[in-house]
Amino acid sequence: MKQLAEIHTAFIERADDVSLLNTPAVNALRQKAKAQFERHGLPGKKQEDWKYTSLWQLGQEQFVYQAVETTLDAETIDRLALVTGSYRLVIVDGVFQPELSRLADLPQGVKLQAMSQLDADIADQLNQQIDLEKPGFNALNTMLFSEGLYLHIANDIQLSQTIELVVVNSGKTANLAVHLRHLVRLENGAKATLIEHYVAVDDAATGLNDIVTEVALAQDAQLEHYKLQQESVTSYHVATMAAHQAEGSHWHNANISLGGKLARNDVHSRLEGEAAHLTMSGLYLVAGDQHVDNHTRIDHSVANTSSDEVYKGVMDEKSHAVFNGKVFVHKDAQKTDANQSNHNLLLSRGCEIDTKPEMEIYADDVKCGHGSTVGQIDMDQLFFLRARGLDEVSARSLLTFAFAVDVLERLPSDEIKQALSTVIEQRLPRGAKV
Amino acid sequence: MTDQTQQLETLTRKEYSAGFVTDIESDSLPPGLNEDVIREISRIKNEPEFLLEWRLKAYRHWLTMDTPIWAHVQYPEVDFQAISYYSAPKKKTDGPKSLDEVDPELLRTYEKLGVPLDERARLAGVAVDAVFDSVSVANTFQDKLAEQGIIFMPLSKAVQEYPELIKQYLGSVVPYQDNYYAALNSAVFSDGSFVYIPKGVRCPMELSTYFRINAANTGQFERTLIIADDDAYVSYLEGCTAPMRDENQLHAAVVELVAMNRAEIKYSTVQNWYPGDENGKGGIYNFVTKRAACRGESSKVSWTQVETGSAITWKYPSVVLQGDNSVGEFYSVAVTNNMQQADTGTKMIHLGKNTSSTIISKGISAGRSQNAYRGLVRMGPNAENARNYTECDSLLMGDRCAAHTFPYIEVKNPTAKVEHEASTSKISEDQLFYCKQRGLDTEDAVSMIVNGFCKQVIRELPMEFAVEAQNLLGLSLEGSVG
Repeated sequence: MKQLAEIHTAFIERADDVSLLNTPAVNALRQKAKAQFERHGLPGKKQEDWKYTSLWQLGQEQFVYQAVETTLDAETIDRLALVTGSYRLVIVDGVFQPELSRLADLPQGVKLQAMSQLDADIADQLNQQIDLEKPGFNALNTMLFSEGLYLHIANDIQLSQTIELVVVNSGKTANLAVHLRHLVRLENGAKATLIEHYVAVDDAATGLNDIVTEVALAQDAQLEHYKLQQESVTSYHVATMAAHQAEGSHWHNANISLGGKLARNDVHSRLEGEAAHLTMSGLYLVAGDQHVDNHTRIDHSVANTSSDEVYKGVMDEKSHAVFNGKVFVHKDAQKTDANQSNHNLLLSRGCEIDTKPEMEIYADDVKCGHGSTVGQIDMDQLFFLRARGLDEVSARSLLTFAFAVDVLERLPSDEIKQALSTVIEQRLPRGAKV
Repeated sequence: MTDQTQQLETLTRKEYSAGFVTDIESDSLPPGLNEDVIREISRIKNEPEFLLEWRLKAYRHWLTMDTPIWAHVQYPEVDFQAISYYSAPKKKTDGPKSLDEVDPELLRTYEKLGVPLDERARLAGVAVDAVFDSVSVANTFQDKLAEQGIIFMPLSKAVQEYPELIKQYLGSVVPYQDNYYAALNSAVFSDGSFVYIPKGVRCPMELSTYFRINAANTGQFERTLIIADDDAYVSYLEGCTAPMRDENQLHAAVVELVAMNRAEIKYSTVQNWYPGDENGKGGIYNFVTKRAACRGESSKVSWTQVETGSAITWKYPSVVLQGDNSVGEFYSVAVTNNMQQADTGTKMIHLGKNTSSTIISKGISAGRSQNAYRGLVRMGPNAENARNYTECDSLLMGDRCAAHTFPYIEVKNPTAKVEHEASTSKISEDQLFYCKQRGLDTEDAVSMIVNGFCKQVIRELPMEFAVEAQNLLGLSLEGSVG
């Protein structure tokens, strides 16, 4: 058994080997993160944010940083990708794959690159949306990130074609640790659709994906931001998506979590301009001994902002899900309209859900509400379907699908909605019985 | 500042009507806490050895604990050595045997508070155990209750007369290791009420305790233990007040309820401890552990609380639903004003099959106060078909107050159903306009809307309390429109 200090040292020792974005400013930031990580290390269960999620097992893993050289063919990527005909940035086992990516013919004003291909110093854009002091993975990621996606869209450019980031774990290197940092900036009036897609080729792939995505939306910018996590059920996935929203901007975030032995998502937005709007949709489907933990936080910092959040989850077998949604209405953020809901479906004995929808409100003229439910398949609905000739297994599957797919109805893109719906259908538990 | 905010300022600056000091001689231990103090308390009360041992164990455990910091409240550290852990009105004889022997000054105190201690009590049908600082001073209707085998007496007396019951039940719901303040209470508790309802007995009247902190620099550490045996029923009322003082006073009580097979306990509280002045000076720190165990099948415990007082409230009346088909209920109105801070809620721990619980929590914050609901609903792996319904609503009055909701839901059984909903809003202009248009002035309109907002809870209170609670609400919040 590894002791805590040992676990931390393994990560810290790695810090000096990272060579991405080797500028003085970035290096200074990394040093700062290293000092922070040395002080606090990985969060423990005593921390409120990690009350239900233990990192003990993750800590015991012996992660590897040198990937075996792997080439995947274009067909494999086409098969793995969620949508066709999009711009594509492909990272396999932590390494950017220019020949598998589709980054040509970008319109004027759109910059889409792998971090390792950047020519400009972007140090001033790093760690703008995340708090390095917060115990968690922010420091670890800042210290170790070695690749990522960089997207910048200039004023008033509206990109109609979707961008799909495909991050593949080929399974060729056991226990590979990958630390990625994505930066997304949309200037005034810009518009884009981005899919972050994490997928394993091999069902038994192992390793850790540690991701931080920072999003900055300027005035009236609109970003449809999807995340589909289809890691193998034997790997770890820890990710943060943090956004800053200026006046009139709209962040449409959808977070679909299907894979991972342990998957943790922190989704955070700060609405700091009037009329900013946030939509958060989330779906988690877990089975076996999977553990999924979604923490969302919404900061309404100024007056007249709105947010709408729906997270739904289906737990099967011995899986364990955690949901924590915090809506924070700051002083003077009058006329805030915030709605949040979390619904959970338990399918079998042995699964567990811990949910905590929180509100902290420091302004009076607000409309805030949340709802949370935990339940099982409705017997009347089941009877209705059985009476019409469906066998029990199909009826249950259908009802589970209907429960889950409800979240997808909120998504604005039909193409992506369709694609996700197919993914979820394949992922449904069959024959699950309470 | 808008007109309405100004109105709020004026109207919320009402006087605390229970803030008088009773001029009465009292015997107090000097401030400070150590094993000798605990031995002294135990000696004064002539306690059996086992109780002293228990107190000392609790004290030693308390020394190893840290002050809890997780609640959403802020206050300077409490100096536990500056508190006197025992204060009693000086006795003229060995103790009052009837109302005539009770110090008339004391009776007048309760009269001012509206406690029906004398003849009026008979009319009101309320049996009162009044706790003044640390000791029970009067206990009405004891004989009448005794006829049915009901035991209702100060805990200190029960220790003498029914040591085996005390030994069996004390600390069985809230063990001394439970939390910081429960440990402290277990070490130094001075008095409180003890109720035992025998099998099959329906207590014919409401039982009631009135707590009052009078002496300065004292803490009140009462401990209440209520046991309802098979098929028994009891409704218990608790009210609290304290004089106005500039320094903060500590109140760390423990309440334990035990409901056996098919028994039902209804516990109602109107808490009106001195909340401090509008700048947050003075007031009571109300750090209370209240827990009920539904041990028997089909047992039921219902907590109803109206919390308007205290500088800081830290209180989570809980129910452990062990017996199959047992029922837990929690109805709460928490009002905070000026600089008050409240972090209150409940825990429903479902262990048995077909257990169900209902939580209705109404928070009202005004002034610069902080009002938080913190709750836990836990469905254990064996809680087949367990159900919970939770509703938390917050009403904000004024733009400098705050309302928070922290509900924890933990479900380990796939047949359990949990529903939680919460909302936060202010009194809408439309509602006010509607009332005013029909001839009500703003104050009455607000009072009516607030009462409507709390109705679900108030109607759970016994009649006498409902009236008092409604008056308290009215007094605290008339015209408070942000």
